[in-house]
Amino acid sequence: MGEMLTGAQIVCRTLVDAGVDVIFGYPGGAIMPFYHALPEYPQLRHVLVRHEQAAAHAADGYARASGRVGVCVATSGPGATNLVTGLAAAHMDSSPVVAITGQVARAMIGRDAFQETDVIGITLPVTKQSYLVQDVAELSAVVADALAVAQAGRPGPVVIDLPKDVQNQKAEYRAPEHPRAGARGQLQTPDASPGSVEEAARLIAEAQRPLMMVGHGVILAQAYDEVRTLAEKTGMPVITTLLGISAFPEGHPLHLGMPGMHGEVHVNRAIQHADVIVGIGLRFDDRVTGNIAAFAPRARIIHVDLDRSEIGRNVRVAVGLVGDAREVTRRLVDAVVPRSCEHWVSEICGFHRPSRPAAPQELTPDAILDAIHDASDGRCTIVTDVGQHQMWVAKLYPYRRPNTHITSGGLGAMGFAVPAAMGVHLARPTETVWAISGDGGFQMNMAEIATMIQERLTVKMAVFNNGYLGMVRQWQQFFHGKRYSCTPIFSPDYVKLADAYGIPGWRVRTPSELTDVVARANAEPGPVLVEFVIAQEANVFPMIPPGGSLSEPIETAPTPAGD
Amino acid sequence: MTTTHTVRVVLDEELATLNRAVGVLRRRNVPVERFSVNPSGTTGLARLEFVLRVDAATADRVVQQFHKIIGVRDVVLATTDEGEASR
Repeated sequence: MGEMLTGAQIVCRTLVDAGVDVIFGYPGGAIMPFYHALPEYPQLRHVLVRHEQAAAHAADGYARASGRVGVCVATSGPGATNLVTGLAAAHMDSSPVVAITGQVARAMIGRDAFQETDVIGITLPVTKQSYLVQDVAELSAVVADALAVAQAGRPGPVVIDLPKDVQNQKAEYRAPEHPRAGARGQLQTPDASPGSVEEAARLIAEAQRPLMMVGHGVILAQAYDEVRTLAEKTGMPVITTLLGISAFPEGHPLHLGMPGMHGEVHVNRAIQHADVIVGIGLRFDDRVTGNIAAFAPRARIIHVDLDRSEIGRNVRVAVGLVGDAREVTRRLVDAVVPRSCEHWVSEICGFHRPSRPAAPQELTPDAILDAIHDASDGRCTIVTDVGQHQMWVAKLYPYRRPNTHITSGGLGAMGFAVPAAMGVHLARPTETVWAISGDGGFQMNMAEIATMIQERLTVKMAVFNNGYLGMVRQWQQFFHGKRYSCTPIFSPDYVKLADAYGIPGWRVRTPSELTDVVARANAEPGPVLVEFVIAQEANVFPMIPPGGSLSEPIETAPTPAGD
Repeated sequence: MTTTHTVRVVLDEELATLNRAVGVLRRRNVPVERFSVNPSGTTGLARLEFVLRVDAATADRVVQQFHKIIGVRDVVLATTDEGEASR
């Protein structure tokens, strides 16, 4: 006879046995049995956030930085609905997160009980799988399945909805059989056929202008060495998508940069001139392709992806290779013949546009990011929010080490950076972690400063303050006749805000202050807040207009009518 | 070209799995002509059958999405005009 435990204890025990050591959450009525059991399992460190959205983003950040499942917990009703943005962000960016939500007792379900919501229904489109646990005897197996499903194949979020009475019921604890039959098929990794690999190698050998485009799948599969070897063996230049940034070292002679809406002109031109594109672990989303009908008109595309349904979903594919990015790329490395692409690389160099020098007294994103990089010699992880600063970081920050750039790509969830950086810190406690936000996104989740202090989480917070919701303002300037409707945004005094929380805070207005402030920020043992006051109407250039072709970048702000 | 496609799915006999299956169709706003769920003859498994009038690429995308649902055991696509082809 095994040990008799309550449902809540079974959840904790199964999490501990699976190696989970951090959970982000917020207690409430329907999840109280879980919180009652939690102190009996000191292996589970609980981080009390200030809003459940932050718990989901923090679990997501933890998952992306650690490569392990991130776990968040919330109560029923509003607790669970507050998780939804974070789950959607994890779903869009294929991040393994398990959310445990309290639910009203089984007898009350469907009666509009206090704090009852149909959490399974609400989260269905933004989760990979969900479980409403009806029987405590199944609980350990459900938790083990959820952890396995979240991480297997293409990762994603999973919800376990846990009625309060099931948390209180007792059952014999049995170590879960793993995985159960129902989940087994989807947990297997497919394997690309040898014929397809040879066909891909033949296309690469025959190409005059081949390119590699690498995405988040390379980071998830840790295929860094394989991708680099493939690039160096063939001489193919490498483009990294927003979520592929840091999958290939910036500064490598074959690295070109980021493609798409805010990609550099030479990167997008390279795509438009390429005759073969080897896409590894990316989904060719609309921010990468621009007008899909005009995307890479000359290229035959070889698409490597773990998710069969992504092959041919957005672009025409000549060869689809379904499988783990690391394994398939390794097989491609074996199959390709060594070659070089010197003429092609020099042709791309000819597409390059020189950057415009800034005035010496102007505090530019370039200078700020250089200072942050230099202060730790690049040995830090950058977590960005969503908007102009996100694009500046993506374009300008010189990433050298794998998986050191974390951002909300697919969902584009403002408010992501600060809580996600808390998760990154717990995954990498000895590394400096910067959360870079705009003044809009920072104000969405700045209450998490209190979490950092209470839980001793060291995050260096940077706010790029231009007094606007900058990316929306830029669109208004370019496409809406400069009508700045509802984009000017007030900020509190961030230095006083830091002081109110009892952490160091600085305001930087000129380049001359940068080195000293960033060094002091890094040297502080705990969280800090640095406000960088930048030009109000700074723009992200170049820009492909929404729905436009990659061949038609906007490189200067439009001239107002009448000038 | 729009054709009639019959999709036959064997899946776990659980409302949550069925709900997810319906979600794939709802989210893509795919026009469904017939939709039925019946016992499969195997304990714990149900047979779902629906008919789509869409082009071949859309039908294929639906099938690929069904393969991703946890609890879906088998998916067969039959195209009326071109005869039945198992995937």
